[in-house]
Amino acid sequence: MPTVTIDGQKVKVEKGATILDAAKKAGIWIPTLCYHPAVSSDASCRLCMVELDRGDWRQLVTACNYPVRRDIVVYVSSDAAKQARRGVMQLLLARAPDSPELQALARRMGVTETPWPTVTESQRNCILCGLCVRVCEEVIGKAAIGFAGRGVERAVAAPFRQASEDCIGCGACAAVCPVGTIKIRIHEDEQEIEISPFKSRGKLLLCERCGTPLVSTAVGEQVLDKLEAGRKEIQELLRLCPKCRKARAGEKLQAAKVFREVAVSSTKTQ
Amino acid sequence: MTVISDTRLDSPADLEDFREQLLSKRDASALSVHVCTGPGCAAKGANKIYELFCEAAQETETDVNVQAKAVGCHGLCECGPIVLIQPGDIFYQRVEEPDVPEIFRETVLAGRVVERLLYPDPVTGKKVRTADEIPFYQVQQRIALAHNGLIDPTKIEDYIASGGYAALAKALSRMAPEEIITEVQKAGLRGRGGGGFATARKWRSCREASGSPKYVICNGDEGDPGAFMDRAIMEGNPHAVIEGMIIGAYAIGSSQGYIYVRNEYPLSVERLKLAIEQARELGLLGQNILGSSHSFDIRINRGGGAFVCGESTALMASLEGRPGEPRAKYIHTVESGLQGKPTNLNNVETWTNVPAIVNKGGEWFAAIGTEKSKGTKVFSLVGKVVNTGLVEVPMGITLRQIVDEIGGGIRDGKRFKAVQTGGPSGGCIPADFLDARVDFDELTKLGSMMGSGGMIVMDEDTCMVNVAKYFTEFLQKESCGKCTPCREGLAQMLHILERITKGEGRAGDVERLEALGELLAGTALCALGKTAANPVLSTIQYFRDEYEEHILERHCPAKECRGLFLYEIDPEACKGCGICLKNCPADAITGERKEPHVIDQEKCTRCGTCWDKCPFTAVMKV
Amino acid sequence: MARENQLIEQIVKRYDEDVGMLIPMMQDLQAERGYLPADHLCDLSRRLNLPLSRIYAVATFYASFRLVPKGQHDVTLCLGTVCYLKGAGQICDAIREEFRVEPGSTTRDRLFTFQTVNCVGACAVAPVMLVDGEYYESVTVDSALEVLHGLALDNTEAKKED
Repeated sequence: MPTVTIDGQKVKVEKGATILDAAKKAGIWIPTLCYHPAVSSDASCRLCMVELDRGDWRQLVTACNYPVRRDIVVYVSSDAAKQARRGVMQLLLARAPDSPELQALARRMGVTETPWPTVTESQRNCILCGLCVRVCEEVIGKAAIGFAGRGVERAVAAPFRQASEDCIGCGACAAVCPVGTIKIRIHEDEQEIEISPFKSRGKLLLCERCGTPLVSTAVGEQVLDKLEAGRKEIQELLRLCPKCRKARAGEKLQAAKVFREVAVSSTKTQ
Repeated sequence: MTVISDTRLDSPADLEDFREQLLSKRDASALSVHVCTGPGCAAKGANKIYELFCEAAQETETDVNVQAKAVGCHGLCECGPIVLIQPGDIFYQRVEEPDVPEIFRETVLAGRVVERLLYPDPVTGKKVRTADEIPFYQVQQRIALAHNGLIDPTKIEDYIASGGYAALAKALSRMAPEEIITEVQKAGLRGRGGGGFATARKWRSCREASGSPKYVICNGDEGDPGAFMDRAIMEGNPHAVIEGMIIGAYAIGSSQGYIYVRNEYPLSVERLKLAIEQARELGLLGQNILGSSHSFDIRINRGGGAFVCGESTALMASLEGRPGEPRAKYIHTVESGLQGKPTNLNNVETWTNVPAIVNKGGEWFAAIGTEKSKGTKVFSLVGKVVNTGLVEVPMGITLRQIVDEIGGGIRDGKRFKAVQTGGPSGGCIPADFLDARVDFDELTKLGSMMGSGGMIVMDEDTCMVNVAKYFTEFLQKESCGKCTPCREGLAQMLHILERITKGEGRAGDVERLEALGELLAGTALCALGKTAANPVLSTIQYFRDEYEEHILERHCPAKECRGLFLYEIDPEACKGCGICLKNCPADAITGERKEPHVIDQEKCTRCGTCWDKCPFTAVMKV
Repeated sequence: MARENQLIEQIVKRYDEDVGMLIPMMQDLQAERGYLPADHLCDLSRRLNLPLSRIYAVATFYASFRLVPKGQHDVTLCLGTVCYLKGAGQICDAIREEFRVEPGSTTRDRLFTFQTVNCVGACAVAPVMLVDGEYYESVTVDSALEVLHGLALDNTEAKKED
């Protein structure tokens, strides 16, 4: 197992692990945006820059996807690495000036402002990290959204900028978005879920007892499909919200208790 | 365009016999007219000239055997259309359609020279007869372009008769794959597409990588504005590329190759397709080539219109049916490339050098060039020089030799200002460094790079800030947009450059550009982003005063940036004709007839109409 | 099941259903139809079993692909300072009204695609209009409209000769 000497600390990692893995093991924090353990690493945001010792020079590399294949020496807190990370964050702050999450991350890095004006348009602070695209393709398997355009025109969009037919309204994209661009909206009166800004709308499965929205019908159907037809009990439970499920379980227990008492008392009387 | 039917070359001996047959069929006394139909000459109507010569050859009533041939780029595009007559190697330039009957009658049939179509020596004015006497060609050493201009690229027989595919026969029958790699290593061949990576090392790494199948790719996505070297090779001698690839594939252990041609080169695609078909017919591509155990075939893919696809990982993404977005190269493509398999990618010109190295040996090649940059390089010399075109010269030649001896100096009597090398990844080099030797490393030390070979010469009327803005705009349009520094950083740089060239520059702008440039170089994902700031940084390095004048004085010293210089009428030159007055859209000019006119600078919108219209060049830019 | 798209079927078979040849497939489709129609792209996605988002990503990444049809002619009107001072603004409005086309789009009958640019550098002969790369100098509202109406007439003449 190769050794990574990171800011003076030595950690051993599996061959093929990344510098970021080594940093986590060593307890050293490296800021990331487009990295998520559930999906592949693209290193497109360029925030996690660290310096790799090359002998007579140092190379700036991205920690989240640099594979460790032999013993290496890495500097996270060197001036050059810090400067690189700050520079990237300053560009991001210029692009996405209204994201509280991004600003919080910046503060943690020691960046409180940016010298650059906003010269590119982002849809609601989108920084094009691609996590939503990758989660939809790699984890959910639907690839309902993707990148469109090129360069400064690049954007995350559903095909033809219309509501995607492949979207199942699971909300995974919203869950991974690091800057609060993607939002789930519940339209109570229409009983619909909307994933904004992709315009996807889908009917919601409602709790059969109290009417609280559960998940989109598409997700519900996917889950129900995966179960055998015979597991009626589970099918019924899935159509209830957590509260009602508990209530139902309580009622069942109660019914069982009564039944037992009746049974016990009947045996007693015999 | 049909091959001698039913011929299949199943052994090196078959190839030799075929070559002998072709040579014996040639009439040594035959007269031939070679018309260059390369990109430059074609744009000037050379195709029609070729047709006219074909007609003349057919209709001639004499017994003499005359052959008209359309050949690839000679290089001296400035003087096109170019026509060569054999025997005699007579070189005609700037040929036009009406000249054809005269050339045919006088030179082809009667052996007399048409004086006015000969090339005049730029210094003495004396007319020269052959290409060898032209300085433009004298300094050159043609290896990659060796057959350009001599063969018809649509006929494989021409290539074979000139010795083509002999290297392939030698490689397959008398050399082991490792031997070939060793020969290329001795030659010291480095990638000609801009990266300059040691070719033998790449081949060896790919050969040793685990995984199969292995792929070889030819990068024909020549995208640098001003560069057309690869186009001239693909259209003028496609077989050299194919032969190189077959040899390389044999050395690496690959049986499938791809040639990726940029979308804007449809003729290159056509010529390569035809060449591949002809090679297949003869058995030079396909199963068991020339009776050996090596099987190999090539597929051609066209690009979709994206400069970034010249980057190797982006090119491979494109070949996988994806957007051409580069990826990290921490694991090299020779280990994991196309479809995750070991892949060797080389540029068109790199592949073209391979047959010569196999034929003449690595040592022969290494004797040309400098210590670390062996062999020759094809450059496209364009811009404000007298002779624009393609040149192939040994590495180590100086910039001054290229600009003065080959280029013939600056046209229109202007002064040299800079030469931009290496395309959008390169930089501008000023007069102080004209004695720099051109090779992979020297130009990089000066803040530029040799790149793929584009050389754009600029004169005193060029605004260097505007040049930086032009390249930055180009790169912004072509950026894939995946990584933050390239996408956002270039946008910020362009924004600053636009302000500066509009007269809205602020103190600190140069420092801002430098900071952004440094950030891009360190953090961008691919070579496009990493080198994107070079045009800006190199112009700041050598022409900082121009930036400062734009910013502090709102003045463009080259008088190119609109609004940042004034128009004034020279009272000595002005004849008072009144044309400027009549045409001024802002009514800013006053003056009596036959009296010098005056421009009211308060009203002037600096549109330049007066400058355009004045028949006495009395309007000056100040 | 969706009815089979003959053209897509032909194209896909031509490349042995190899997904790596997606770009040549789309180039062939565009060569056939003049642009990439959305419904054909949907059919291609189904036929190759590729997500539509991938097809759309490729269609919008490469500069040579068009998702909207182009007009038969390219009309560019210069709106640079001098041209503007000499009335290009009025000419632009006139074209918009007469042909019901906005800058950046194509007329409904696909006769021409209309664009405005910020200076073609021919200020001496402003206002300037380009049609298929050919320069029309010192145009007026009337002369500009006449040229554009002439394009439709050319088509009718050409059709008559067929």
